[in-house]
Amino acid sequence: MGNPRKFASTLAAAALTASLATGTAPAADMTITVWAGGSNASDVYRVDAIEMAADILAREAEIRGESINVTVDKKLYDGWDDFKQAVTLAAESGNAPHIVVTGHEDIAPWANAGIIRKIEDLIDMDAWPINDIFPNLIEISSYEGAVYGLPQDAESRPFFAWIPHMKAIGYSDAGIAALPERVAGGEYTLYDVLDDAKKMQDQGVVEPGYGFYPRVSNGPDYWQFYQSFGGEMQDAASGKLIYDQGAMTRFYQFFADAVAMGVTRKNHVGTPWDQWYAEVASGKAGLWHGGTWHYARYTGKEGLTGFFDKIQFTLIPAGDANGRPNTITHPLVYLVTNRGTDDDAFIAAELVKIASEPRINTLHAIKSAHLGIAKSQTSIELYSNDRWASEATERLLPSANAMPNNTDFGVYWTAMWKGLESAWTGQKSPEQAAADAAAELRNALGDRIVMR
Amino acid sequence: MPRARGSGIIVALLAAASAPLVLMYVFLVIETVGEAPPGQLLPDGFTLENWRFLWEDLPGKANIWAVTLNTFIFASATTVIVLAVSSTAGYALSRINLPFRAYFLAGVLVLHAFPTVTLIIAIFLVLQMIGLYNTLTGVILVKASLELPLGIWIMKGFYDTVPWEIEMAGVQDGASRFTVWRRLILPQVTPGILALGVFSFLAGWSEFILPQVLAPDNKVQVLSVYLAGLIADDYDLNFALFKSIGLFYVIPVVILYLFFQDKLMNIYGGGTKG
Amino acid sequence: MTPGKWLGVLFLMPATLFVVVFFLSPVLLTAVFAFTSMSTATGVGEGGYLITPSTLHRLAERGMDRSTAESLGATTYLVNPETLSRARAAGVAAATLDELGQRHAGKSFDGRRGFERALKSLNNRPRSVRALKQAARHFETSVLNRTFGQREDLLAALAASGVRLSDEDRERLVDASYTGWTWTTDNLRRMFGTADTAQVLANTLIYVFVTLILFNTGFALVLAITTFYLPTTEAAVFRGIWFLPRITPPVLYVLLWKWFAWDTGFLSTVLGWFGVASRNWMLDTAFNAWVFVVLINGFVGASMGMIIFSSAIRAIPEPLFWASEVDGASRWQQVRRIILPQLRWPILFVTSYQTLSLLTSFEYILLATDGGPGSTTEVWSLAAYHTALNNYAGNLQYGYGAALALVLVIIGVVLSLLYLRIFNFDALVARPRIET
Repeated sequence: MGNPRKFASTLAAAALTASLATGTAPAADMTITVWAGGSNASDVYRVDAIEMAADILAREAEIRGESINVTVDKKLYDGWDDFKQAVTLAAESGNAPHIVVTGHEDIAPWANAGIIRKIEDLIDMDAWPINDIFPNLIEISSYEGAVYGLPQDAESRPFFAWIPHMKAIGYSDAGIAALPERVAGGEYTLYDVLDDAKKMQDQGVVEPGYGFYPRVSNGPDYWQFYQSFGGEMQDAASGKLIYDQGAMTRFYQFFADAVAMGVTRKNHVGTPWDQWYAEVASGKAGLWHGGTWHYARYTGKEGLTGFFDKIQFTLIPAGDANGRPNTITHPLVYLVTNRGTDDDAFIAAELVKIASEPRINTLHAIKSAHLGIAKSQTSIELYSNDRWASEATERLLPSANAMPNNTDFGVYWTAMWKGLESAWTGQKSPEQAAADAAAELRNALGDRIVMR
Repeated sequence: MPRARGSGIIVALLAAASAPLVLMYVFLVIETVGEAPPGQLLPDGFTLENWRFLWEDLPGKANIWAVTLNTFIFASATTVIVLAVSSTAGYALSRINLPFRAYFLAGVLVLHAFPTVTLIIAIFLVLQMIGLYNTLTGVILVKASLELPLGIWIMKGFYDTVPWEIEMAGVQDGASRFTVWRRLILPQVTPGILALGVFSFLAGWSEFILPQVLAPDNKVQVLSVYLAGLIADDYDLNFALFKSIGLFYVIPVVILYLFFQDKLMNIYGGGTKG
Repeated sequence: MTPGKWLGVLFLMPATLFVVVFFLSPVLLTAVFAFTSMSTATGVGEGGYLITPSTLHRLAERGMDRSTAESLGATTYLVNPETLSRARAAGVAAATLDELGQRHAGKSFDGRRGFERALKSLNNRPRSVRALKQAARHFETSVLNRTFGQREDLLAALAASGVRLSDEDRERLVDASYTGWTWTTDNLRRMFGTADTAQVLANTLIYVFVTLILFNTGFALVLAITTFYLPTTEAAVFRGIWFLPRITPPVLYVLLWKWFAWDTGFLSTVLGWFGVASRNWMLDTAFNAWVFVVLINGFVGASMGMIIFSSAIRAIPEPLFWASEVDGASRWQQVRRIILPQLRWPILFVTSYQTLSLLTSFEYILLATDGGPGSTTEVWSLAAYHTALNNYAGNLQYGYGAALALVLVIIGVVLSLLYLRIFNFDALVARPRIET
């Protein structure tokens, strides 16, 4: 079987000599493949941006008197599972696409496996537009201190409230307007959410089980609630994962309480997404949480008008005094794989760099209702004129953190989710679920996770 | 024997149990050309809108005819391999006294009921080693291999029923075993070959997990993967479109079934997965 | 050997080749993988060597000298005769190197950026990113975050880095930085140590036995017996209907069920007329999900039993039925006294055969509920698939997945061998009558 890592050791060797002498990239015609995961029709700029970059690259080369014709072979995957499976297996067989657009959490295992190259080996990190990208996003694209990818978009996962329903239970316009600040100050907590949800149900503005209407499937969102109750995912100093059993228990307890109060359905998880979107965008739910990109779905496919009059958005409230209001950003990143020669890699990296230019990135940000990756995007009119992008950037991004890039995080995530499901559906008590998850993680990860 | 007595009740009970199936398949056809407003089952208009995938590519998806051609190549190539290999191996196991013959037969029987899909990671690795991952050829070879134990078993069964006298006569006339097989025996098992052929074609035509995992590339996509990909996209949930593609997908199956009904029953009765 | 035997060997060759390559070797590989720590992060092939800050932190915790760990943890670029000549040998432009030597000889840079900036400030600076990167590479002396394909490469780089290491530390460092998989029995320990296993096992038993009893044997019997008593046309119609699920491609067949159960589908619409709120009936509750999983698999599974039982009933001599009619026996008595006793072996066969099929098939569940809601319909084979090929965070666990699959492989082989005994294998291998 092939050893994809050997390229690294031969990297410095003679193969480069020829091209070095002239300093030009010799390849004239080449095909660069790019695959994007979790992308539907509104996310086409994830791959189209690479195509636009190829055009610019060709023009630049022509002016220098060279000829670089890059054909971009694009593929969008709707979901994540099939995509990650395909990329992993393709990479294992040496057929990975040149460029992958994926969640930043893939960097750790893929870097360890040698599937991806460090982008800092391929582009000048001082050059524009890289020097314009938010430093925290660059950090999220790094693993063990080395920059592996470039952020493709930013987003954040806010809490939503349906304004007419809030008014129905006694909130004034001023009270609703002040909500984001009260949340940010830790004054309005998750248990206030449950109380308000209960009121809405009691007054009949929403049906039972629709007061608090969370995400219907596993996702980074649920780590936010762990953080709301004081949980931390990784120890900054040692790079080890942290399992905080107290925070985990309180986080599980919160969802068990929501079910016990009747404001969230016991069988909520597994509700089809299309049903969920249609319901939250039509005011069937009172309070819920989602992502900044939901704006596109609500106002687009679901036909919601007057978004800002109907929906208020805030950080995820704190759960108790131990925790903090927060939001998780889960940027997608452009990664350059070890597919092909160094020539391919340099071209691919160059394309990624051009695709990260503010103007091109803004096309994606606004079309898909994600947030920008660079400071200067706020002075691009397409971006600044978009109320959602500018307000969400301001209200959410400063408090946003990300999940750790750690090879074992997948195991941790799976265990967290299983525990949550069993507490949510009442199969186990929250204490039991958190204890079982701890036992499983000790069993699976040993001393690679710190127990608190 | 008077069988008709009381059959009215039986028909009614069976009809009730079969109702979900009948409904599903009837609406499979109706919905593809009917226009029904939301919340209403029966259509009040006729439309070909759902069949537009035949003349225009769906956004971001491969061309349906290319996918269909791939599916056809996949199913036929699998069938050819299964037939060629099973008809020779089946003969050897039925008629030729080889050492370890019993072990070979036992092996075939054990494999024939084996947890094939759970081997998929290892199969991936084998394909990768021989450089056939992400190719249609690779999936064809894997699918054919997984069908072989059943194929060999069935062909052996058919050879077992050919009278020894035919073979004896041929050998006594001085013909070689190969000529006897080719000229005299093979024509005797044509029904078996036909049945196994149709069966393998249907199995290849329907296969989902193998191409999905072992050939994820757009260019080697088959209809099952194409349709599953559409269904997985929650952004555009359109059952009428899915069903039209599904109907397009299943029509060849139904035609084959209608022509080879009895032969198929033989094989499915002989035992396969499911 | 006689020519006939040669022909036999020749005839068996292709089959053997196919089965060995795509069937037996995967079985063996699965058994091997089950005892490795293989995952996406380790890769399937040979691993490399990568020293990261975490590696050093871990080693420091285990007693490596802290100052050594710290010096290993710095990224250093060094301009000296050695690195300059290395760059020259690799073809970096002479003008660049000459100027670099003049201006920065003997200097050490912390971090890549500083050094690249120094390079860019030269008059004879590299004029493309590529040239810049390839020039800079030769001056890096630290080992941090660099991937080495071979142990020797890492050792050479360690020697060149100038950091003094005791032999013991070096060994520990090399071991800890290996990124590939290692042999382990952790997978088995983990499988027996987690509560999930018990849950998945329980799910599997429910799935297999409920489907088997209700449909693959039970309803198949009902279909075979009732259609036996029906006039030929009606019998053919019902057998045809129940055969449809088996020939329909799974993706479409499950789609039809989804339409039936979806929140905008058939059940919701019809029940909506009676004021029942629309919902996704398939995933609404764990119970519902089980009902649908059993129905979806059962409707497919019933046809095999139906065909086998039908032909077995037809093989019963008709006079037996006439005689019982004359005696005035009811239908029920006929079924109990004549049909069922004759079906003993076919029932045993179908039951054993379908146990194995159900145990190892997960395609329909994957397409229908994907193990949900929660993981209430996650059965063993699906869990193996999910573990090995699906992970939300991109790290597929091949080793643990293979360990789960291995359990099925073992059960499969044991059951098959058992069935071979029960169903009198020897009768199937009567000796051929031509020995030439």
